[in-house]
Amino acid sequence: MTASFHTAEVELLRSLVGQLLELVRDTPEQKEGDDDGWAAALGLADDDTPKRPTDPVVLRLFPDGYQGDDEAASDFRRFTERGLREAKAGMAATVLASLATAEGVDPGERKSREKTRVELNAEEADAWLRTLTDLRLALGTRLGVSEDDEDQWLSLPEDDPRRHIHDVYDWLGWLQETLVRTLSAGLP
Amino acid sequence: MRHLRIVTTAPVEIERPEVEETEAPAPETPWVTVVWNDPVNLMSYVTYVFQAYFAYPKPKAERLMLDVHEKGKAVVSEGSREEMERDVEAMHSYGLWATLQKAGDLG
Repeated sequence: MTASFHTAEVELLRSLVGQLLELVRDTPEQKEGDDDGWAAALGLADDDTPKRPTDPVVLRLFPDGYQGDDEAASDFRRFTERGLREAKAGMAATVLASLATAEGVDPGERKSREKTRVELNAEEADAWLRTLTDLRLALGTRLGVSEDDEDQWLSLPEDDPRRHIHDVYDWLGWLQETLVRTLSAGLP
Repeated sequence: MRHLRIVTTAPVEIERPEVEETEAPAPETPWVTVVWNDPVNLMSYVTYVFQAYFAYPKPKAERLMLDVHEKGKAVVSEGSREEMERDVEAMHSYGLWATLQKAGDLG
């Protein structure tokens, strides 16, 4: 499938996905002190169990697998969080790669109104779908969106940064809706 | 049948109390995967995930999505604990908010 973006939109996506990539690649809740950090990096730490994230965005991306059972939730996190982080990072990297190879993105002759074509195969489309989800989860959690709160965001002053972020959040939702519709048509 | 694994050499099983060997095998307790409502994920996307991952037909996927949306949660799959952990992990990879629990514990 083919998606078409303004060059400014490509830049925005690249920036957002780059930030997401850093967020999910971050080693969870580093311990204090360089020694532990190095030991963890080398896989030598005594206990490399990821702690429950304190950042609500990270917790939303890697939620508890059990409710009301801290021990089971901690075990689940130990067995899944690392793999989920790698998978999400891999998909974000796939999105960045498809943006990098996008037709018309030549840093030398970029104009913000120019259109850029992005070609996606099935695997790349899946990576886009899940990465757009992660971006919306991150922005939505940071903003504190709730059901049916559109009016609240529209009533913010024009110069409120949250209004701009919510516009981006809405745009990502529109992009995802378009992608879901295309992919749903291909399901049996 | 899980208690039979106590005869294997897997170190994790050795720590199990011996009494478990003589207990009558309990019927396999079914576990369920629960997907919870969240204000971010699109209804079309949640439906798509239920179709793509569980291979549910569209009407069933839509009904489950509406249950999540209107009732706050829905049981989307049922099976052994290991299977449900796999499903929950998959839901997390799709960005859906999911947990697993014993089937009988549903509130």
